[in-house]
Amino acid sequence: MKSRSVRAARLFFPAAQDNVGYAPGTMKTSVQNIVIVGGGTAGWLSACVIAARRTDLSVTLVEASDIATIGVGEGTWPTMRKTLATIGIGEAEFLRECDASFKQGSRFDGWVDGSAADSYLHPFTPPPSGDMRDLLAAWQASAPDIPFAAAMSAQHAICARDLAPRQRAMPDYAGALNYGYHLDAGKVAVLLARHATSRLGVKHISAEVTGVTVRQDGDIAALELRDRPALPGDLFIDCSGHAAILIGDHCRAGWIDRSDVSFNDRALAVQVPVAPDAPIAAQTIATAHAAGWLWDIALPSRRGIGCVYASDYMGDDEAGQVLQDYVQRKIPGSTAAQLQPRKLSFRTGHRAEFWNRNCLAIGLSAGFIEPLEASAIVMIELSLEALIENFPARRAVMNIHAARFNDLFRYRWDRIVEFLKLHYVLSRRTEPYWLAQRAPGSIPARLAEQLALWRDQPPSAWDFPRVDEIFSAASQQYVLYGMGFPVPTAAAVSLASGANRLAIDRLAEVRQRTRALSSALPANRTYLAAATLAASSPALPGELATS
Amino acid sequence: MSNHQILNFGDHAELRVHAGVGTVFGDNVMACLIVPGEFRAVQGHYPIVFRRDIASGAFSALALFGFENGENLFLDGDRWDARYRPMAQNIQPFLIGRAASEGQSAAQKAQIHVDMDSPRISASGEGVRVFDEDGRSTPYLETITARLGDLDRGYRQSGGFHAALERLDLLEPFTLEVPLDDGSRHTLVGYHTIAEERLAVLDGDQLGELQAQGYLLPVFMAVAALPRFSDLVARKNARLALG
Repeated sequence: MKSRSVRAARLFFPAAQDNVGYAPGTMKTSVQNIVIVGGGTAGWLSACVIAARRTDLSVTLVEASDIATIGVGEGTWPTMRKTLATIGIGEAEFLRECDASFKQGSRFDGWVDGSAADSYLHPFTPPPSGDMRDLLAAWQASAPDIPFAAAMSAQHAICARDLAPRQRAMPDYAGALNYGYHLDAGKVAVLLARHATSRLGVKHISAEVTGVTVRQDGDIAALELRDRPALPGDLFIDCSGHAAILIGDHCRAGWIDRSDVSFNDRALAVQVPVAPDAPIAAQTIATAHAAGWLWDIALPSRRGIGCVYASDYMGDDEAGQVLQDYVQRKIPGSTAAQLQPRKLSFRTGHRAEFWNRNCLAIGLSAGFIEPLEASAIVMIELSLEALIENFPARRAVMNIHAARFNDLFRYRWDRIVEFLKLHYVLSRRTEPYWLAQRAPGSIPARLAEQLALWRDQPPSAWDFPRVDEIFSAASQQYVLYGMGFPVPTAAAVSLASGANRLAIDRLAEVRQRTRALSSALPANRTYLAAATLAASSPALPGELATS
Repeated sequence: MSNHQILNFGDHAELRVHAGVGTVFGDNVMACLIVPGEFRAVQGHYPIVFRRDIASGAFSALALFGFENGENLFLDGDRWDARYRPMAQNIQPFLIGRAASEGQSAAQKAQIHVDMDSPRISASGEGVRVFDEDGRSTPYLETITARLGDLDRGYRQSGGFHAALERLDLLEPFTLEVPLDDGSRHTLVGYHTIAEERLAVLDGDQLGELQAQGYLLPVFMAVAALPRFSDLVARKNARLALG
């Protein structure tokens, strides 16, 4: 799918010299000035990461001050810890400024059959090392009645008790268990903006982008701004969200619709204040309903709750009722009826090309899918990682990098779409929406193949061999066996082997670690209350080695 | 000040204890009681000395961490710079108490007490739990319990050990003059060490008696700990150099 501007450029410059790596030195070659459009999470995160990791570059962020950020990306992956450390924000500052809490995974309630006992956890801490066939056999042999996640990770018990994944005396961003964050996206953008402009030397321009100046070769030369001089640059990063003013309006990079697989296209979101001493859940809670699911994200001061649904199967009023019922059930005494939910309509899909000539889309401008596994922010981080680790030093090689980037992120989007679909195809719910989710025609071919293979062998790195796979074999295992997918019979065969005794020892270690961590970790509320008062309550020396 | 209570789930279900290291927890002490069974581990890190209790006249053994009250040269912020910490230091804020009941041995009467006025008692919700929700000991308390048991046995053996040292005249007063790099001097007085000359001339019967009681090894471990005094001086000089 070629964009119009590229095609136009090629008419004038057939065999454009920048297609290959040996451009003569007549054109400006070094990539020095980075211009970012949009001041939401994607824009400011991009500005911070690029400025922190490439101090030799000039970074400018332009945003129209009157555009509200969408602000529903409120769960991160563990990758966020490294990102924050890289850009130089302390963990206590981050927690305090962003009303943040710890996220140790996602819990899925009602996804298998909707019964009261139907609940499983996808924790961030992976199973013990070792062959999953042996671990599965050990689980089946020693404790088949306990949930897969509880057998494989101490995190299951820690989440059930609303405990924090770390102690305050530990070094920033270290944990006894793997964790990310729940956060207030609006506050994150404010913190990142302040950090970028005051400590990282990012230039900030408040102005509306009104047009694009194009070079003869088709590259973007500069952005035209309202009441301001044009803003030139070498690489333009489109973080303008759904508006996609560069990658969409200008580059006309094609859109690949994924709603044939991912049906949900609406969300109703509310924020419910909570009591200052209410427990803070350690994981995102995703509760299935007749035609979608509800998210529930606990921050120190509030819970963000939203109803995601497919408009083909549920009306807005009905979804509003589902949301209200949930809030009343889960937060008794809240004034659910008075809440005015914010309605979001979205289309699931992504660009055919994320990087076109000297324009790269990061964030919602690149693509959107329901927040079932909080993939939005991690995709921003992965995009930045790929960009910086493979930064186009010269314009002449930019198209090579762009092609590789596009290939990598097409691959990643495919994996996201498939992994989210996995949550639906393993369900046994019988509402029309759920039956449609399992219709063979809606299941991507590669996922269908995986499921066939996983009858005989557990998910492994053979299935997910790329660098920084977005959903590792461990994630697939947690969902698969959390939802009751049959353990391969080959696993039982390995029971006889000596390797299995090792696996049984590994699971015994998990049980011992569960006891130790349950006694040593503070409640989330305790931790976060102390952290926000850090000045008056310094962390006492720690008692638990990180692992 | 102390407030000793018998540790029990009823009163201490929610008890959390700071198990870390630091001045805030009272770890800034110059010495700690040790028992013969741990001399082997102690001698790798700390000088071993003996002190006579003025009231009772009985000897006890100590590991030295510094040269003056409140000085612990092994304490580095929230880190204890040695791989071994003497047991009596490592069980706080717990201690061994005795039930008042008759007809039981000292070991049977042993109970775990906790000093609720210790700075290690947490009021903040942070720290390590002692009991889980079901009233079972946590791994932390299991470790403490095992350590207290070892320590209790060690204390009960200490009396015989120190009496044997006295009987064989193996303790001699010891004065250490410590010249420091900044020109100042520390004088350490009031302690005893093993009298090596007399140890060297014990006859076979006397050595056999020590050996039979299991006292010979700790005696030589106490001798082996003497070079740790120069390590301690080096730590002191390093602190002085840092200003």
